[in-house]
Amino acid sequence: MLPYSSKSKKHRLPYGRGSVGALLALVALMGSAPAATPSFTVGWSVYVGWNPYYYMAKSGILRKWADKYGINIRVQRFDYAPSLDAFVAKNIDACAMTNMEALDMPAAAGVDTTAVIVGDYSNGNDAVIVRQNLTLAQIPGKQVMLVEKTVSQYLFERAMAINGLGAQLRQVHYLNTSDSDIASAFLTNPNKPVVVTWKPLVSQILKAKDVKMVFNSSQIPGEILDLLVVRSEVLNRADGSGQKFAKAVTGAWYELLKLMSTPGPGADKVLAGIADASQDSLASYKEQLATTHMFYTPQAALDMASAPDLKKTMDLVRQFCFQHGLLGEKTKSVDDVAVQFPGGAVLGKPERIRLRFSTTYMQLAAQGKL
Amino acid sequence: MSFLRIHAQPGRTTAWTLSWFLFALGIVLYFYVAQARHRENPDERVMPTIGQMVRGFSDAALKPAEEEEAQASSGSLAARFRGSMLWKDTEASGRRFLISVALLFPAVLLGLHMAMFPVIGAFFLRFILFFDKIVALSLLPILFIAFGIDELSKIMLIVIGVTPTIILDTFNLSKSVPREQIVKGFTLGANDFSITYRIVFKQILPRVLNSIRLNLKAVMLFLFAGEMIASTDGLAYRIALLRRHMGMDTIIPYVLWVALLLFLVDFAMNKINHKLHPWFEAA
Repeated sequence: MLPYSSKSKKHRLPYGRGSVGALLALVALMGSAPAATPSFTVGWSVYVGWNPYYYMAKSGILRKWADKYGINIRVQRFDYAPSLDAFVAKNIDACAMTNMEALDMPAAAGVDTTAVIVGDYSNGNDAVIVRQNLTLAQIPGKQVMLVEKTVSQYLFERAMAINGLGAQLRQVHYLNTSDSDIASAFLTNPNKPVVVTWKPLVSQILKAKDVKMVFNSSQIPGEILDLLVVRSEVLNRADGSGQKFAKAVTGAWYELLKLMSTPGPGADKVLAGIADASQDSLASYKEQLATTHMFYTPQAALDMASAPDLKKTMDLVRQFCFQHGLLGEKTKSVDDVAVQFPGGAVLGKPERIRLRFSTTYMQLAAQGKL
Repeated sequence: MSFLRIHAQPGRTTAWTLSWFLFALGIVLYFYVAQARHRENPDERVMPTIGQMVRGFSDAALKPAEEEEAQASSGSLAARFRGSMLWKDTEASGRRFLISVALLFPAVLLGLHMAMFPVIGAFFLRFILFFDKIVALSLLPILFIAFGIDELSKIMLIVIGVTPTIILDTFNLSKSVPREQIVKGFTLGANDFSITYRIVFKQILPRVLNSIRLNLKAVMLFLFAGEMIASTDGLAYRIALLRRHMGMDTIIPYVLWVALLLFLVDFAMNKINHKLHPWFEAA
């Protein structure tokens, strides 16, 4: 008998496993759902600003809203990268992602995408952490552990640029480290002086001795946005079911956020339920919420999405994506993946709009018309 | 319907056609779906067309790697290839791969000695049987403490993942050499080491080489896992980065390139095995 257990780690293979899984799930779903009720799938991954989707489905709030609009909504948990893959492959209809990934994954891959909910922005969740009191100016020439080409790198490069160190970025050596192992890899390797990551990993790392946070996302407020995006073709379905879907999700979202933000024991129960989504404790989830600027009311989200600052932010983000080749090798100009803002303003070529910020549904929620 | 029977004798052309049929089917299906998706969305990235993949691959193989743009853009094809991203990644991964495979040979000797010398066997066997069942990837934090997160930990991940299999396989193969041969060797005046190396080792070596060949894929899987966890270069590092923006037009050629390299290593080892052991026909 030959032992083969050592070969069993096939899940590290770099193929689109998530997409295949989602496809199978969707096929199964199509087979079972009655043809009359349109069905939609929302993908989410564990993150403080997205964990509410788990509770929204579990508590029945989502079902109530879906029934009101006569549709079916399924909520499915993914790892982050596979959730993006599934959305780009059009296996799911809506997905929670950041503004940066919305631009460089679906939008850059030609999947016309609409952001219907601006949920929150990272207000300290993402951080640059160093050992031995290093300063940002001392980082060039040293190794930086991070998940390359994600918001972590965006945060780091913004930190350097804001401190006038942008020109020295070329001397920084990035060490691409998987987010599942980055905390232990940093903590057990004293010769690696810098790490950039997000909560709850940040909290875990900061518990160690001799480490210090030198920059975090609260210094670039509103730049790392967490969105719920829907494929535009779904929204524009001729039978109007896509809009019903967006209305139902938005309605359920703000009902839940209201429960979260109303002080009292009720809120704690809801928050504990949400913390369950990531097997987290209530205290830990509250700690993460403290560095997340949630838009608890539709009005707050609406104000954020219609402010001119959003355009500046998206310009920074798209320039970053373009410089790092995240819009694709064949994208010759940053304007080829255009972004449309509420009110109609466009960054890039008007005939190549791929990402749209819509305030329609948040507006309806603010007016109580959902 | 005799062609489906055990004693069917397909002709050369039939056998050749049959053996390529699934390749053709896979390729046709892929491009059929890819075409459909591209008609629907001209910016489609998930399933690149053949033209995009050729471009992606030639960019990877001929354009200079990121940092030093100006220098290698001229010069001969070979010089450009040596300055390319693909070559750098292949070099980095290849070095780790070869070191790891080289480290499998001490494992073979350990397995052999465990089988031949009961005291060594008693010392190691139980532990290695246990160790073999450990899923090394789930103990990464401990590996990081012991070996850091640079080159050593990647190689150790492979070694820990693959050597127990090799040790146990060599052990079993050595044990299967008929006892009579060993007794006979002793009656003809052989000592312990000539029995071990000149009777047993010689007989099992071709099978051990085959066992290593079968484990090349496992070596590659662990290497990919290691490079995806923390790395600054290598084939899997590149694939992990390209995934961030759905660079499937480069990823698919990369995966095929890895398959080709693995095939060549396997092929070379098979040839060497035949050369060294012309008497061994089992392969």
